[in-house]
Amino acid sequence: MSIAAVKPAQGTRVLSYAGALLETMDAALADHANVFIMGQGVDDFKGIFGSTTGLAEKYGAARVFDVPLMEEGMTGVAIGASLVGDYPITTHIRADFSFLAMNQIINLASKYRYMFGGLMRCPMLIRIVVGRSWGQGAQHSQSPQATFAHYPGLTVIMPSSSQAILDMYPAIINRHPGPVISIEHRLLYNLDFTVAPSEKRVPLTSYVARKGSDVTVVATSVMVLEALRAAQYVEDQTGISAEVIDLNSISHPDWNLVTASVARTGRLVVADTSWLEYGVAAEVCRQLVMRDPGLLRQPPTMLGMAPAPCPTAKSLEDIYYPSQHETVDAILTQVKGDKHGIALPVERSMTEGYKRFRGPF
Amino acid sequence: MKDEAIYRRLFRTALLIRLVEERIIELYPSDKIQSPVHLSIGQEAVAVGVCDGLQPDDLVFATYRSHGFYIAKGGSLDAMFAELYGRKGGVSGGKAGSMHLAAPEVGLMGSSAVVASTIPHAVGAALSFKRRGASQIAVAVFGDGATEEGVYHESLNFAALMKVPVLFLCEDNGLAVHSHRPVRQSYRLAEHAASFGIASRRLEEGWDMLAIRQATLEAAARVRAGEPFVLEIVTSRYKEHVGVGEDFHFNYRSSDSVDAWKRRDPLIVDQKLAAALRPDIEREIEAAVAFAEASPAPGHAELLTDVI
Repeated sequence: MSIAAVKPAQGTRVLSYAGALLETMDAALADHANVFIMGQGVDDFKGIFGSTTGLAEKYGAARVFDVPLMEEGMTGVAIGASLVGDYPITTHIRADFSFLAMNQIINLASKYRYMFGGLMRCPMLIRIVVGRSWGQGAQHSQSPQATFAHYPGLTVIMPSSSQAILDMYPAIINRHPGPVISIEHRLLYNLDFTVAPSEKRVPLTSYVARKGSDVTVVATSVMVLEALRAAQYVEDQTGISAEVIDLNSISHPDWNLVTASVARTGRLVVADTSWLEYGVAAEVCRQLVMRDPGLLRQPPTMLGMAPAPCPTAKSLEDIYYPSQHETVDAILTQVKGDKHGIALPVERSMTEGYKRFRGPF
Repeated sequence: MKDEAIYRRLFRTALLIRLVEERIIELYPSDKIQSPVHLSIGQEAVAVGVCDGLQPDDLVFATYRSHGFYIAKGGSLDAMFAELYGRKGGVSGGKAGSMHLAAPEVGLMGSSAVVASTIPHAVGAALSFKRRGASQIAVAVFGDGATEEGVYHESLNFAALMKVPVLFLCEDNGLAVHSHRPVRQSYRLAEHAASFGIASRRLEEGWDMLAIRQATLEAAARVRAGEPFVLEIVTSRYKEHVGVGEDFHFNYRSSDSVDAWKRRDPLIVDQKLAAALRPDIEREIEAAVAFAEASPAPGHAELLTDVI
């Protein structure tokens, strides 16, 4: 399945999300002698879902290496290496496992520059992967962008496409002054995207993924794709024009971009990959209300995970996450009201649209 | 004679640490230092002996009880007092305070208030030294309580697997806040280290600066050759866990062991040398206090700098 926001044009090519990750990891190792990659399984035959495959062979075991099961220790080792000038890239094949590294991420990495008055810096890239579908269950499915973005000192991004990775990773690795947490999404790994040369893009901000005039959809990660698919469906069915904003940089979004869009449309849908409570959806509303409480013509619609741990059974999982028809319904309801009467797409399960993703992980 | 010169050098630094902390005790009731302080009085010999046994470019990763390591590694006294005062002239502009002293220019790579949390940092720095073929070593300083934390075990395992030049330095004062070792530990540190293939040494004479220096020289030589090592030094915390008072009246420990330690403490025993060195050290401390007093307080201009 190929998902492209724009038609392929001159200078563009097709590249999977995993392929973009592999290209940027390869380039980082080639361009910066102080970069190394460590994580459970980074040098094995699966190579973090293809994002590090072959790099240990190409750059050697001193630069790409497996580690024991030691999430906190590994992150502490990364901080120590970073403090003396190396640039570590660490991986967690599920975001849930990064919770074992919370002490080092929250208590140390996020604070080292500030707490020592600028004496210390620990720039590094922490790559974590969110799971969804195929029975990921309660501990392989969490999406902790709000958790990490809450803490000053961390930069949190959620690349939603191969282009986002090509734009951001080279700008982060060995260049960004502090620790960066990139929340990648497992459902995106095997998708092909059309990408263009990336010099023109400003990294680490938000951008308009699709222009529109009737309703603003602010989305993160895989929900950007869901929003784009829904926006296309709605336009095809009704001519309604939905603007989709990829928040992209969760800790440092472009709130002016979001505000300007909502000021034009007066209608808002937020589509996030996590829970709504105290999350991205709440922050979007806070930012808008603080700027102008009169921006919205009606209450916004919020799409996120149901307020429970993630269930494993497919029948429950399908109703746990916002589906494509709920995303379409949200856009239509914002513009036409909840009695819009327009047929929703029959696709009930999002994973049916991502058939190339199959288990076991 | 050579040993005598070394002893005098070590003694002076240890006395400087003690007099600095005694000055902190005097100043504390004035509320000029508005942050928790964890005094190392009684433990100075460890910081002094260890730092003297290291090369200047070896790096130390320390804890919230690190006035001693900051001074022994060569950190500026003016900047330390200004830091404790929360002033712009502080080593970290007042954002760190007593618990987060750092002096990377002399190899003190930061102190953390979360027990055991800087241990893997030393391992990481050592990994980098090995990767670039440097002759430096990294030293993880921690108390005996820190060895109960999971990350201590993770750090030893990784250091042993990767054969990185890291010295694990345990300051064993037998206490985790107010808890004694028998209720905390089911293992012996040396046997635990040996299970990772890491050699260790336990030095009971933690008041003996020359012995600590010598043990560090020997341990550091092995570490520099590419082998992690655990050096355990028994010591004695005279004061309460946090704050400037004593805590014997709470009856969780008796003063007997501390009194026994004090009878061997060279800073107490060697009154003659202490008296000879004292005036010069006191002038140094008063100059640092004056520097702190004169340094302006940080404000809005500093509040949001160095966040990212």
